[in-house]
Amino acid sequence: MARNKLEFPLDSEAYEIICKIGVGVSASVYKAICIPMNSTVVAIKAIDLDQSRADFDSLRRESKTMSLLSHPNILNAYCSFTVDRCLWVVMPFMSCGSLHSIVSTSFPDGLPENCISVFLKETLNAISYLHDQGHLHRDIKAGNILVDSDGSVKLADFGVSASIYEPVTSSSGTTSSSLRLTDIAGTPYWMAPEVVHSHTGYGFKADIWSFGITALELAHGRPPLSHLPPLKSLLMKITKRFHFSDYEISTSGCGKKGNKKFSKAFREMVGLCLEQDPAKRPSAEKLLKHPFFKNCKGVDFVVKNVLQGLSNTEQMFIETQILMKRDDDEDEEEEEEIVKNRRISGWNFREEDLQLSPVFPTESETSGSSPREEASQDKPDGNSVVLTGSELGLGLSTRNEEAKEQEDEVVGFDRNLMLEKLKLLKKSLEHQRARVSVIIEALSGEKEEKSREEELLEIVEKLKIELEAEKMKTLSAEKESVLG
Amino acid sequence: MKGLFKSKPRTPADLIRQTRDLLLYADRSNSLPDLRESKREEKMAELSRNIRDMKSILYGNSEAEPVAEACAQLTQEFFKDDTLRLLITCLPKLNLETRKDATQVVANLQRQQVNSRLIASDYLEANIDLMDVLIEGFENTDMALHYGAMFRECIRHQIVAKYVLESEHVKKFFNYIQLPNFDIAADAAATFKELLTRHKSTVAEFLTKNEDWFFADYNSKLLESKNYITRRQAIKLLGDILLDRSNSAVMTKYVSSMDNLRIMMNLLRENSKSIQIEAFHVFKLFAANQNKPADIINILVANRSKLLRLLADLKPDKEDERFEADKSQVLREIAALEPRDLA
Repeated sequence: MARNKLEFPLDSEAYEIICKIGVGVSASVYKAICIPMNSTVVAIKAIDLDQSRADFDSLRRESKTMSLLSHPNILNAYCSFTVDRCLWVVMPFMSCGSLHSIVSTSFPDGLPENCISVFLKETLNAISYLHDQGHLHRDIKAGNILVDSDGSVKLADFGVSASIYEPVTSSSGTTSSSLRLTDIAGTPYWMAPEVVHSHTGYGFKADIWSFGITALELAHGRPPLSHLPPLKSLLMKITKRFHFSDYEISTSGCGKKGNKKFSKAFREMVGLCLEQDPAKRPSAEKLLKHPFFKNCKGVDFVVKNVLQGLSNTEQMFIETQILMKRDDDEDEEEEEEIVKNRRISGWNFREEDLQLSPVFPTESETSGSSPREEASQDKPDGNSVVLTGSELGLGLSTRNEEAKEQEDEVVGFDRNLMLEKLKLLKKSLEHQRARVSVIIEALSGEKEEKSREEELLEIVEKLKIELEAEKMKTLSAEKESVLG
Repeated sequence: MKGLFKSKPRTPADLIRQTRDLLLYADRSNSLPDLRESKREEKMAELSRNIRDMKSILYGNSEAEPVAEACAQLTQEFFKDDTLRLLITCLPKLNLETRKDATQVVANLQRQQVNSRLIASDYLEANIDLMDVLIEGFENTDMALHYGAMFRECIRHQIVAKYVLESEHVKKFFNYIQLPNFDIAADAAATFKELLTRHKSTVAEFLTKNEDWFFADYNSKLLESKNYITRRQAIKLLGDILLDRSNSAVMTKYVSSMDNLRIMMNLLRENSKSIQIEAFHVFKLFAANQNKPADIINILVANRSKLLRLLADLKPDKEDERFEADKSQVLREIAALEPRDLA
């Protein structure tokens, strides 16, 4: 069966750009028409190759993954080609934009449940296909679920997707055929706990977790942990885009905000996705059979109830641009990068009111504290430490059932396993510490103490330079001896 | 229904035998037009399932990790007969999902050891003409990514890489990596890089024997290409090749050529920082050469002030001490040069 894909021209001359509909770190998305194809409307993602730091190999893999996938709920590229320094990826134009933009512009308090089920089911079809193909998406969120005016729903953005069948050749040279991955990727608020701090790697179930978070995002209008009051310091701005909502801050679930009712089936479905233990989460295929999706309406339903009357993608882009301008003109990119490095050790899902609260790592080190403070916290005094949150001055619940359970585990648990976990956690903390230091430095001009890791890295760098210089010397010495 | 016929699990030998039969069938089926379409579809579906089963054995599935013994058996059975050839020739007749499965199966089999031998390598040595079939794939949009992936896996074997390097095929890559279709061009570029970096001794031997035409083509077709991405990848790969110890003889010769220096100086002047930085890593070899020919010295001296200014401004986005160290050494070298009389 040959694919009867329409052959889109591999030449920029054949396209006419209409307007810009999105911007990213090193890419822009345009609405355009393809002139020789009856002026079909398309979306073109133009990636600046000179700017993009991403190594070329990952770009190649993303592009290849996309062009080899074939499913109605997956956003395929029609074609891709380079135009001077840019890579143009020509894709179907999804006129309603992402679920994230739909929710944030038109449904700030969340979508009605009977619409959520439609979007989630379509998304789940895509996830099921991807998993069957051996791919992990690794960045499932409303912002990556695109909708067209006819109600078609497509999962997009394979920037961080990974295939278990494609061994990463660069690292260590061992070919792992095991169904697990170990590098960290994704957007933190949708990231499964085992992605954040597991030594055993993670599998398909991490996508299921993110799917559950996406369900919450659609239900409440934002992902959990995302409603911060307006804050003054730069540090606080770090989390600005993921406002903590008041219901999540309250320790004792004073459920006044829970004026929205969700069905038992929905709550249960989300609960399954958000199981701490990945093994207990259902597979995408199994999840599709959950009662929540049984009497799911068709896409026509969302066309009538959600999509009609929406402002179009161009309009939404302009609106968000204005919104963004209203926020301070600080560096968005940097902010996002920092946000991506926040770690949360666990989550506590309360099924009754469909809410998820964070559990911060029980670790003896805060990211910005002085060594002496760290030492004093080394005592197992039972105070779990709020990661970076403490600096943010957020009165977050620092202790709850989940944390207690974790501590209990330390006692009667596999020491090595725990040790490994803690080491990883420590690494992630150090990473954050470095980030925070950068900000502190930038703000105050003070230079933070360098961490041990950084010092070592510098030494390694220096040694490398010496080695290289030595090599050059030997090389020229050799040449001399050969040439006379 | 299907469950009813689910008898005892097939052995790898059974699986391969059945797959072979089905492949033979697929191979012939087009020439038997009177065949019932439904029957044909049924057989093709069975073939797809078989290939999927092979993949499960080799990679494991959601329930089980792969079992070494089963993998070894499957590999042995697969290469015992001409299954690989059959699979490669039938690939265009399979549907997209099965093509992908087949590609992954072939990729995995290249790495499987039987009695600590890579029998895939032995098989390919005896059937090296398969590489001629695979490389043709780059010219077929539908098949390129599948055949391309198989090709890249096969050149993991030194003997296969050597064959490709010594054949006329290697010249085709200069065009393939500039194909307009990005996926295919990028795939070809990855293979080209693999070909020129993986097996050090083979690469060194190839370059020594072919340096004249190879670097002439490399310069004119790749480094002076109109295509930004071609230039960028080519200059990076050139750096990787020349900085590899095993290619030092070739490098010494490369940095003694005025033409090469001219091209490098042009790349240094590009307004793409990525290209400039990569070009510097090659340019530094010209400057660091302690036996610079007189014409090289004279060019460097003639352009000294421009070079010093340009290099002084050249900085990577991220701080890079090693780069800075290299740079100051190059700056010193150039500053200290004295013009020479041409011999």
